Amino acid sequence: MIVLDKLTKRFGPQTAVDALSFEIPAGQIVGFLGPNGAGKSTTLKMLTGMIEPTSGSAQIGGFDLQSETIEVKRRVGFVPESGAVFESLSGLEYLEMVAALYGIPAKAALARIEQFIAFFDLGFDTLTDKLLGAYSKGMRRKVVITAALLHNPPVVFFDEPLDGLDANAAVGFKALIQTLAREGKTIVYSSHILDVVERVCHRVIIIDKGKLLLDGKPDELVAAHQAGSLERLFTQLTGGAELERRAEDFAKTFRP
Amino acid sequence: MNEVPALSPARTLRQLFLTLFLRGRGARGLRRDRAPKSIARKLWLTLGLYGLTGFLALFFVRQPVFALAVYLHAMTFMFLGMFVASSAGEVLFNKEEGDILLHRPVEPRTLLWAKVRVLVEVSLWLAGIFNLAGFFVGVAAPDGGWRFPLAHAISTALEALFCTGSVVLVYQLCLGWFGRERLEGLMTTAQVFVSVAVVLSAQILPRLLIHSRSFTGLAIGSWWIVFLAPAWFAGFDDALAGSAAMSSWLLALVAAGATAAVLWTAFGKLARTYEAGLRSLNENVSPRGRNQGRRRWLDRLVNQSPLRWWFRDPVTRASFVLTSAYLFRDRDVKLRIYPGIAPMLVMPFIVMFQGHGRGGFRHGSFGVAFASSYLGLIPLLTLNLLQYSQQWQASDVFRAAPMPGPARLCRGARRAVLCFLTLPVLVIFGATIWLFQGGTPDWVLLLPGIVALPIYALIPNLGGRSVPLSLPTEEGKSTGRGLMMIPVLLVSAAISGVAALARRGGWFWPFVLVEAVAALVAYLAMSRSIAAVPWPSME
Repeated sequence: MIVLDKLTKRFGPQTAVDALSFEIPAGQIVGFLGPNGAGKSTTLKMLTGMIEPTSGSAQIGGFDLQSETIEVKRRVGFVPESGAVFESLSGLEYLEMVAALYGIPAKAALARIEQFIAFFDLGFDTLTDKLLGAYSKGMRRKVVITAALLHNPPVVFFDEPLDGLDANAAVGFKALIQTLAREGKTIVYSSHILDVVERVCHRVIIIDKGKLLLDGKPDELVAAHQAGSLERLFTQLTGGAELERRAEDFAKTFRP
Repeated sequence: MNEVPALSPARTLRQLFLTLFLRGRGARGLRRDRAPKSIARKLWLTLGLYGLTGFLALFFVRQPVFALAVYLHAMTFMFLGMFVASSAGEVLFNKEEGDILLHRPVEPRTLLWAKVRVLVEVSLWLAGIFNLAGFFVGVAAPDGGWRFPLAHAISTALEALFCTGSVVLVYQLCLGWFGRERLEGLMTTAQVFVSVAVVLSAQILPRLLIHSRSFTGLAIGSWWIVFLAPAWFAGFDDALAGSAAMSSWLLALVAAGATAAVLWTAFGKLARTYEAGLRSLNENVSPRGRNQGRRRWLDRLVNQSPLRWWFRDPVTRASFVLTSAYLFRDRDVKLRIYPGIAPMLVMPFIVMFQGHGRGGFRHGSFGVAFASSYLGLIPLLTLNLLQYSQQWQASDVFRAAPMPGPARLCRGARRAVLCFLTLPVLVIFGATIWLFQGGTPDWVLLLPGIVALPIYALIPNLGGRSVPLSLPTEEGKSTGRGLMMIPVLLVSAAISGVAALARRGGWFWPFVLVEAVAALVAYLAMSRSIAAVPWPSME
């Protein structure tokens, strides 16, 4: 469903994504991990057609990212890390606008939106009366997730989707994406909450400084590296263990 | 029952951008039923003011069509140019909307057209209301008639398209020529230049015509008129509903040709560049080391004598550095401030040169004095605009800090504006006077304005207002600012008039002394009042 072949992005002399290659079949949930600045968001933005790759290629659902960008975009849903929305629209106006951009007829769009409202426990009045600028972070995140799934895309990219969601909504969301994967959707899940990734994802891809470090099933990778947990494995690979030790020293400087 | 089809992406986006324009992009905390009205009410007020200003066309009753049309198009050009130049940056290249729209299946050309359509639509509202009185005046012109309203409506629509197309074209060219790395800075520069060019073009043409004393003969036949865009559209009116002179037809052809060329280049040929520009804005990687030199320079500046003494209060110093950084680096702040103060930079020169035109520069002492008084509008307007920022929520850090009120923050911001905006402009004015007055420059006439400067700079901070970067940008769209400047302008004119009289009457220095004492008293009283204001409650 998703094929990357030496996908590269450079910003001047800086290489953000360095010849990244992997394939993701339909129905798989892939945890896409890496420390800050590793190139995760840049990769996701390239795969959603938001920024142009410097070199390499990618295909989504059989469509070439660079020559058939609009077709790719039709088949992709994206929850960006920023959770950006047009704050001066009401939730309903925003979702109707998004639905129209995918060519969903108004009536069908409304029916679909109502399904999401019911799932996320968003009141319909809230969605119609309040502007998005007045929503809490969690409510806004629910609207952004709804906007990403409204057109029923076969591929969904999530960049820190749980940010702002309360515990109940997070549990519901995790169950939702597992079910979506069983229905054949391909899900790329980028997050720093590694225990969630470990529980939800069929596979993890870890990158650092734009390069692929590891690719495999979470339990197999943890066992192969004798790390005990995905979090421990991640810190081993990306220098987090050193930071843990430095944190202890640094905290001592706060002693009166 | 048939399913109602979805709106096309073009219509959806047009509806979206019009809504965003009317409501503003950030409406934190507003309810839906309040949001549209809050902006629309301001829009009605703006349209009302434009409509009232349009009645100035009554001064052109019984003038030939060309003279009336030149006036109307010059003013329309200025209003539309300023509107488009100040709105286009936010509308065309909004960084925040990248995460919302760029992954949707929408062609960049569709996106561009939707935005431009909204800009043109609002431009036409503004142009229509401003020209309303002019339509009737044209009917009564000696060579006019009932064809004038139709011809003028067409030429005004062309002018709106030309203005919008030109601004879009400038951005596209900047993108194409200079690339992503320099895009943000260049967009700001381009916008400032467009604003200044528009003001100059609109101010110079009527003055040239007045000086020529022959509205139709010399002006239409002059070769230089081809270089002034408003004259093309005036030629269109004159060709279709006025004298129908050959030169008017030529100008009309230029108007139609230039508009078509600009639209074709901006939306046909360079639409692809727009997509590249939007994608570039989304690549949020800043070039390494770009502003390091400036950062060091700013730090050095505030830590050197005698400025170290001026900035001995750490809060004032921090606020000075923060405000300066935003004045130099933040695209959103720069796009709001520099085009906003462009007329303040241009008008004093025009006033000075007007004096120069009437019996020599030396006799334009009111012009020189007024030019320096006009300078007071720069800190006034800039400080007012500086309180809006897209990162306004970060200003919570001000309230969290152990400070009783915003006075010290405001002081730092005032000093940054005085140092980096007002002082350079003052130096330029001084140099201009020196250049045009030869050996005996009338620099002293700048004094009354300079003495009043600190007072003007305090006005925005009265009542603890205009805390730098503390309000959402949306609240910055207000016509109230223009109203606030009117009394300041009147006071400036009064001070300048008295200064010019004093200079002639030989009592200039006593006048400056009295003004300085009054300014000192006012400054102390206002500073004390600002220092006593606690943080206003957060809603």
